[in-house]
Amino acid sequence: MSAVSSNAIETMQAKLKGRTGRQFWRSLEELTGTAEFRNFMEERLPSLAVREIDRRTLLKVMGASLALAGLSACKGEADEKAYPYVNMPEGMTLGEARWYATAVGFAGYAQPVLGKTFAGRPVKLEGNPDHPASRGATDAFTQAALLGLYDPGRSQAPRHFDKPADWNAFDAAMAQQAGNLDAVQGDRFRLLTGPTSSPTLLRRIALLMERWPKARWHICDPVPADGRTAATEMIFGRPMEMHAAFERAEVIVSFDDDFLGPGPSQTRNAGLFADRRRMRQQGQGPSRLMVAEPVLSITGSSADRRVAASVDEISTLLQALGAEFGIGSPPDSLSDRHRNWLSQVATALRGAGGRSLVLAGSCHSPDLQALALLINERLGSLGGTLSFSDPIPASAPDGARSLDVLAEDMRAGRVTVLAVLGANPVHAAPGDLDFAKAMDRVGLRIHAGLYDDETAALCHWHVPLQHDLESWSDARAVDGSIVLIQPLVRPFFDVRSPHVVLENLLGRQANDRELVQATWRQAWSADFDDRWRASLDKGFVEGSALPLSVPPIVDRAVSAPPVPASGMVLHIRPDAGVWDGALADNAWAQETPRPISKITWGNVVGVSPDFARDRGLANGDEVRVSVAGQSILGAIWIIPGQAAETISLTLGYGRSHRDSIAAGLGYNANILRSTRSPWHIAGAEIEKTGERQPIATTQAHQAMDGFDFVRTVEAEDVQVASAGELPSFYPRRPMEDPSWGMSIDLDLCIGCNACVTACQAENNIPVVGKELVAQGREMHWLRIDHYFEGEADAPKSYHQPVTCMHCEQAPCEMGCPVNAAVHSIDGLNLQVYNRCIGTRTCSSYCPYKVRRFNWFDFTGDDPPSIQAMRNPDVTVRSRGVMEKCTYCVQRIAEARIAADKEGRPIRDGEVVTACQQACPAQAITFGNVADPNSTVSRRKAEARDYALLEEVNTRPRTTYLARIEASGTSGEDAG
Amino acid sequence: MSDIVADARITDEITRIPLRYPHPRIWWAFFAVSLLLLLCFAVSAAVLLIYGVGMWGNNIPVNWGLAISNYIWFLGIGHAGTLISALLLLLGAHWRNSLNRFAEAMTLFAVVCAGLYPILHLGRPWYFYWMAPYPNTMTISPQFKSPLSWDFFAVLTYLTVSVLFWYIGIIPDLASVRDRAKKRGQQVFYGLLSLGWRGSARHWVRWNQAYRMTAAIAVPLVVSVHSEISLLFAAGPIPGWNSTVFPPYFVLGAAFSGFAVVLMIAVALRHALGLADLVTGRHLDLLGRFLLATGLMTAYGYWAEIYDTLYSGEQQDLATLTDRLAGTYAYSYWSAVILNFLPLQLLWFAGIRKKPVALFLIGLSVTVGMWYERYMLLTTSLYRDYLVSSWGEYHPSIWEWGLYLGMLGVFFTPFLLFIRFLPVIFAFEVKEALRETGDLEHA
Repeated sequence: MSAVSSNAIETMQAKLKGRTGRQFWRSLEELTGTAEFRNFMEERLPSLAVREIDRRTLLKVMGASLALAGLSACKGEADEKAYPYVNMPEGMTLGEARWYATAVGFAGYAQPVLGKTFAGRPVKLEGNPDHPASRGATDAFTQAALLGLYDPGRSQAPRHFDKPADWNAFDAAMAQQAGNLDAVQGDRFRLLTGPTSSPTLLRRIALLMERWPKARWHICDPVPADGRTAATEMIFGRPMEMHAAFERAEVIVSFDDDFLGPGPSQTRNAGLFADRRRMRQQGQGPSRLMVAEPVLSITGSSADRRVAASVDEISTLLQALGAEFGIGSPPDSLSDRHRNWLSQVATALRGAGGRSLVLAGSCHSPDLQALALLINERLGSLGGTLSFSDPIPASAPDGARSLDVLAEDMRAGRVTVLAVLGANPVHAAPGDLDFAKAMDRVGLRIHAGLYDDETAALCHWHVPLQHDLESWSDARAVDGSIVLIQPLVRPFFDVRSPHVVLENLLGRQANDRELVQATWRQAWSADFDDRWRASLDKGFVEGSALPLSVPPIVDRAVSAPPVPASGMVLHIRPDAGVWDGALADNAWAQETPRPISKITWGNVVGVSPDFARDRGLANGDEVRVSVAGQSILGAIWIIPGQAAETISLTLGYGRSHRDSIAAGLGYNANILRSTRSPWHIAGAEIEKTGERQPIATTQAHQAMDGFDFVRTVEAEDVQVASAGELPSFYPRRPMEDPSWGMSIDLDLCIGCNACVTACQAENNIPVVGKELVAQGREMHWLRIDHYFEGEADAPKSYHQPVTCMHCEQAPCEMGCPVNAAVHSIDGLNLQVYNRCIGTRTCSSYCPYKVRRFNWFDFTGDDPPSIQAMRNPDVTVRSRGVMEKCTYCVQRIAEARIAADKEGRPIRDGEVVTACQQACPAQAITFGNVADPNSTVSRRKAEARDYALLEEVNTRPRTTYLARIEASGTSGEDAG
Repeated sequence: MSDIVADARITDEITRIPLRYPHPRIWWAFFAVSLLLLLCFAVSAAVLLIYGVGMWGNNIPVNWGLAISNYIWFLGIGHAGTLISALLLLLGAHWRNSLNRFAEAMTLFAVVCAGLYPILHLGRPWYFYWMAPYPNTMTISPQFKSPLSWDFFAVLTYLTVSVLFWYIGIIPDLASVRDRAKKRGQQVFYGLLSLGWRGSARHWVRWNQAYRMTAAIAVPLVVSVHSEISLLFAAGPIPGWNSTVFPPYFVLGAAFSGFAVVLMIAVALRHALGLADLVTGRHLDLLGRFLLATGLMTAYGYWAEIYDTLYSGEQQDLATLTDRLAGTYAYSYWSAVILNFLPLQLLWFAGIRKKPVALFLIGLSVTVGMWYERYMLLTTSLYRDYLVSSWGEYHPSIWEWGLYLGMLGVFFTPFLLFIRFLPVIFAFEVKEALRETGDLEHA
């Protein structure tokens, strides 16, 4: 030993010696961090010495670690069995799509889907055609779920105290925690989940409660439907879920019930309602929809008669209707407009009797909804158009007050461990709970979620959850049937299923498939293998829909509903794009223009034209909306047809979580909500701040200005006004067989956006972000135009999906100098991307402005996960080229290849475009127009058929069927 | 004074400019500014090429913006040079001789600027040559129904003919400069450019044939090229574009804006280079009359367009007319009307037509007015076309303005080099004209 090192030892020993009493050293580094110590160690233990790393060593180490990384990717678990839906090939053929039935969860319900996968990558979701709640259609949220799976912004690894951690550490911590909780029977342990209907999750929660009887389970549901269950409880004595048979209802009267609007049952409701509308078209009885609502919804825009009514006026109107049918006493005051509407409603209801339906929005007081149920009873529609089942999403022990109780207990220090499983209460809890502050008093906070969100940021542990499309689970659809959720792909990241995390909380390890199987093995016992396999094949358990019934009415005495405050009322609803914020990180959802306002990337403070005029507000003005000391800053947006003193707010924005694409957009309306009145808030104040906020809308001008873009007829057999065949220098070309064409029925379209998002998913359409949308550079191939007509306070509202019209005399083809826009023999207007040099003449000449241009390189920098999501059948476009709707030419090609192989023509209905497939109302028909017997030809032969901008004489292949507005019942009551 | 002496003086007055420039400091100042503008061009074009057309303010529905309106504007300016030179040569109007050389040069540089714009505006500019019919592996020829294919040919042809016309015209004068050059470098430079011109009778015969033939080709080109450019708008089924008025309207507008710029340049050069003896009051007076005439014809085009719309009574066309008169871009319509036609009326007075400053200002007003007209025609039609749902406004981005400023650099830099190093006026023609009209004594 050299002199130096002996010195070092002495120094070190001296250091330790000198520290007596309570002088601790915090780490070995502090003790040993001296140069002398390092020298000493090097001499004594050369193998521990830090070496200068030379290039060769570095490469060697790198090589080894790469090889190890490869090894660790092979997890060594046996591949799970996943069963294809249609055929089960022995091996997988690359380039050939395989379909699996599964589901995605939404607001506690399952949306049954078929997932299209290429080489193990899901690329598109379609509705499960065998499932009655879908019938092959989906809503926009379900379409967007695919991006949710691939979202690179998802949480990818556990975090502990906001630092990256690993699952082993989490498991160890949970095992220890579970031991402690076992000792006290789970006292002061709270589990908080989102709304759920998963039998497996509920079974495991029940087991948890058995093991820890003193623990408590809570639910955080930002969009509760407890008003509805409370109403059924009043009438029937027990909570029930309502099921309306819209296809049988000749007259539907909706008091602010947006049943066609966004929500878990939109697909089902829209499909049934369209069935009814189709019956009207075929002369099989009327279909009348009458709506009174404070804020124009898509139900309102489909209405034959709509009247704007504030929340208190809704209450008055419904009571007046009740009085008409001998329930309760009539309220005294009704405006002329409302009286007029009501008398028509009453007449229509009397005429229809049991074939009618009176609905009250689930956001209104239970008394009011109970009154609506009683009116239905008087009409005789209970059991006919309206029946009931047990509630589908489970309710927590404290029912509607679940979250309040939790917050109270946390504040009182009665909670030591809080486990949040798939919920985000810090964002979503009503402002009066002050959830974040209450959470501060909890000793151990654990969060499991898809995103590292606001709640995760305040928790000690955050662990990432699997997306539904990569995990095993089960849930109930809106008809109550059980849908098995099977993974379409192995998890991308180091994530776990919520079922597994729940077991982890109990200190156990588990496998999500086994947990789900165990649930059904128990239920099915001997039949398990067959039924499991059959259910996976089909996507749901056959015959598992909840039985529908009408229980006996136990209480007919309706108390007068509490009088809602009049005057300025805040009207809060989930957002049509991001719902309660669940899709806030989903760029497709963000960029989907909201059905009425056409706003993307944010929420706004919607006001009526009168309100804006009185207070000098213009679109984009920033206002502060305050209630009881809480306030938000939002941008004004004027919405015609809104009740004068109603301010509409939507949920889901004002997000602040790490690296989110939603950060900085809009306001968080939850701050203003209270547990007592989550939907309607009186006593708010609104003031202009003088600032302006940018709003990205895709349609700034919504007045039809006297043009006839959307045409209406009085009855289904009335010839729509048309100029007929216009003269042209160019003779009509003989039509080849097949020749493709499309028909869009404006009488059926509700403007729900399912087609827009489906098109985005199918055709690899890039997302451009708020700034570019504001500049008019959105890339959607399919847009839904929305028009207002008539007075600003009582407008008619129309939706019109617009795609490339595939004109026979296409101006774009004439304009293109390089043959990039050309016509195919089967009548498609093609855009050849690799020939396009980007002169944009085609778009300048396009009367419909359906062409979209790649202003930048929108695709080159996409993260690998987004690249993996792309549909391999559709070219990814580069910078500087024009693109547009192709009529899903890849699907046509697929059908043609299949037909050619079998030596037959393509069958009618064999080619289904993505928009057509998604449409819950089946408003879109596509097919061979050269065949007079094809469905599309028959639709085009109808009297209602017209071409958009026929005066331009482009001879579009997409035509529209005029909306039916029976005289005397059309649109808004002008009286 | 003998003819010989006067001849020599004129030749000297013109040809001394390239050899001993009169006010080099002012020239350098202007040249420095031009180079700065050129730098602006380089930066704006680089940004555009690196990031894409998205750097501009274009969108759907206004796919085209400043690039296309400036393209038409520059090309319109270019037409006056050819018109003055070729048409008047063929008509034997001798007063043209003092104006034609720099007018032709102006044409040339304006056409270069015009030609650059549609290339830069492409989504994938590196494939601009796909517009040309060349043998390619895709075995595709250009799509001949497209006005853009014809644009490509039109601009290319126009550029070629303009270069030929200008160059043939300048050969005899280049020879004069060569003969007077003292330095070896200048002798070689001008010697090569003058292609061995010796001024023999045979040379003059051949030269006259070539020059007049090129002129005969160039004159109909002015009409056909700008008619073709108008089809870029008129062929599209867009309200406000789809009109048969457009071809003559565009040709007249082009001549109008071109004369305005020629007038401005004539006044400026006359002052800067001390050419008052050659660009006389009579020249200015004639230019003034021409400007007034073409201006009134353009005004007729405005009127015809409105009449056309009102007469047809098409709802969409009427809406576009309303947008022009009172919409978001009404300022561009009214700027065009006021700047083009109001100061113009002063040209009815002979006294004004003799005042160089007044003429310069009127020319400037028309140049700006015609710029507004091009911008107005493009934006007012596109920002609100058929479907109200697609309406959207267009605001040029800083990079578009940068490119526009830079394009002025592309125009002025070679133009300044031209007045510095080449004879700006036809020395021999002026001599010939003076002798024919007997003005030589008084010159």
